[in-house]
Amino acid sequence: MDNQRNIIMAVVLCGLMLLGWELAMSQFYPQPATVGQAQREDVPADRALLADGDGGAAPAIHTREGGLSDPADIARERADIGTLLADGARVPIDAPRIAGSINPVGARIDDIVLKTHRETVDDDSGPIRIFSPAGTPAQQFAQFGWVADAGGGNIRVPDARTRWQASGGPLAVDSPVTLRWNNGQGQLFTITLSIDRYYMITAQQTVANTGGGAVALQPFATLNRTDRTASVDTWTIHSGPIGAFGDGVQFGPDYDDLAEARRASGEGRAHWIGFTDIYWLGALIPQDGASPEADFRSLGNNIFRADVIYEPVVIQSGQQVTRTTRLFAGAKESAVLDVYEDAGVEKFGLAIDWGWFRWFEKPIFWLLRLLYDLVGNFGVAIILLTVIIRGLMFPIAQKGFASMAAMKAIQPKMKALQERYKDDKQKQQQEIMALYKSEGVNPLAGCLPMLLQIPVFFALYKVLILAIEMRHKPFVLWIQDLSAPDPATILNLFGLLPFTPPSFLAIGVLAVLLGFTMWLTFRLNPAMTDPVQQQLFNIMPWVLMFVMAPFAAGLLLYWTTSNILTLAQQKYLYSKHPQLRAQAEKDREDKLREKESPATGAARDKGKSKA
Amino acid sequence: MKQALILLARLWQIGPSRVLPPSCRFAPSCSQYAIEALGKYGAIKGSWLATKRIMRCHPWGGHGYDPVP
Repeated sequence: MDNQRNIIMAVVLCGLMLLGWELAMSQFYPQPATVGQAQREDVPADRALLADGDGGAAPAIHTREGGLSDPADIARERADIGTLLADGARVPIDAPRIAGSINPVGARIDDIVLKTHRETVDDDSGPIRIFSPAGTPAQQFAQFGWVADAGGGNIRVPDARTRWQASGGPLAVDSPVTLRWNNGQGQLFTITLSIDRYYMITAQQTVANTGGGAVALQPFATLNRTDRTASVDTWTIHSGPIGAFGDGVQFGPDYDDLAEARRASGEGRAHWIGFTDIYWLGALIPQDGASPEADFRSLGNNIFRADVIYEPVVIQSGQQVTRTTRLFAGAKESAVLDVYEDAGVEKFGLAIDWGWFRWFEKPIFWLLRLLYDLVGNFGVAIILLTVIIRGLMFPIAQKGFASMAAMKAIQPKMKALQERYKDDKQKQQQEIMALYKSEGVNPLAGCLPMLLQIPVFFALYKVLILAIEMRHKPFVLWIQDLSAPDPATILNLFGLLPFTPPSFLAIGVLAVLLGFTMWLTFRLNPAMTDPVQQQLFNIMPWVLMFVMAPFAAGLLLYWTTSNILTLAQQKYLYSKHPQLRAQAEKDREDKLREKESPATGAARDKGKSKA
Repeated sequence: MKQALILLARLWQIGPSRVLPPSCRFAPSCSQYAIEALGKYGAIKGSWLATKRIMRCHPWGGHGYDPVP
């Protein structure tokens, strides 16, 4: 059936063009080796302060989800975390979604794990760590402070080594923590931290001037991280510096470009600024109404910083001034981001890189969530989604079959026309068109139905890998994470053999099912007249098996289900139009016979015109 | 702009369209129609005409000979 084939081909092409490209790019242009990191000193804090030349560390391999990939780094991170977090002066954080601690040295929030998101798909893997102290391999932290303004006298301000006095705590909902430091010159600095139910920490930075004269200070907040833990940055999904400036969200620059440019910013007022991974976001939200300087910097050694630096404030003797900055440190859960956006954080919902295609992705996302809430299994939800989409497309298929049946009725006239104008293809085409018109049939579905399938497929592709709601969601049996590639790679006998096949050979069971079901659907179609095209159709399923294998298991599940539904639909429609089935079978036999002995082609033609 | 759009339609014709099974309900084909419309009416009106044509290109749309007006 032409229409069916069109749709499949459309999806095939869509897959090849949009997705195969990405595969090819990562194959031929692997992530450039990142510059080595700080030399390995024994004290992590000292390592962080070393901002000189490149160490000899192995270049980071960026994984899909991000995080450290080098075993040495992972071991060192674990050891560092153990020693650093043992410091008894740390103030614990214990909120519903966030755990961790505040470092009173430097007033840094440098220890955050997310309680509701696991590190790996294993049930007993710990919560995912997104903030890690300075000098650790997975460094990421936020720091609040002040810069002494040149014109405001030479006053002492707190720095990275300042030890603050903490009171209150642990930091929890409705239980703020206050850090205090007196510079001994009459200025009292306080930072009051509070946290909400999700991922937002509010920092109120106050300077009280009890000295004799006025002082001028610039409050700031910075976010500092390494790019070694960044998730892979692809052309459809940005991982790296991100911010909302002026009217839009800026997904960029990339870490590499920033490392080269040293400094980058956005246009217009900064609503928020930070760094994003595919699932995690650290962002600073400046005080409402303030117009701080907000930019990204590269500090070398794979370390990057996002700064919010307020305009200088002059504090008269006996006065105090407060700046309130919010820090988002958490998972990009769409609903949570929307809550913050509704509460006034501009464009926060767009921190998820939906792209310009979000008008199509959001409904798919919404529908998937709805189905998931109904059935409680994302795999089943994806299957139901497929059924719904195919259901919507069913009338088109039915119409196509009805047209085919009508075509069959005018077959003799067709044949006659083809005979009469067999030397003039142009004329033949026109006459056939005229015949269609006079008989009121057209077997061809047109291009719109297949064009419509492309955005659905692309939207699902993006939703599956982008939405954290799909992360670590199991289906059945061995498929524990529908947003990741099928882990059951056949080449190493499902992990029994002790090697990891190269990524382009890592074909999972789902990919084979996809190839096989597609081959079945292609087989159902009438044989193509053009042998080159026929060849293409024969190899297409197996090519796609390789191309699609590295993609999210959920996407393969969708496609495989779609193929099975195509087969079922075909069976049903043939049962309603038995004469078409007879025709299809005859065509197939003819084709086979022709293959065996081309000489009998003429005899077959004679037989056909009688049919 | 106009040239870029025509190029796009040409690329479609020599690329994906070759591989796809014939699906045109109309003569001339949508891509040919787009090229002619763009040439005759320019980028904006031409694109609009081409879009309208594609929107008609489904089982309930028309078919047959349908040249650029």
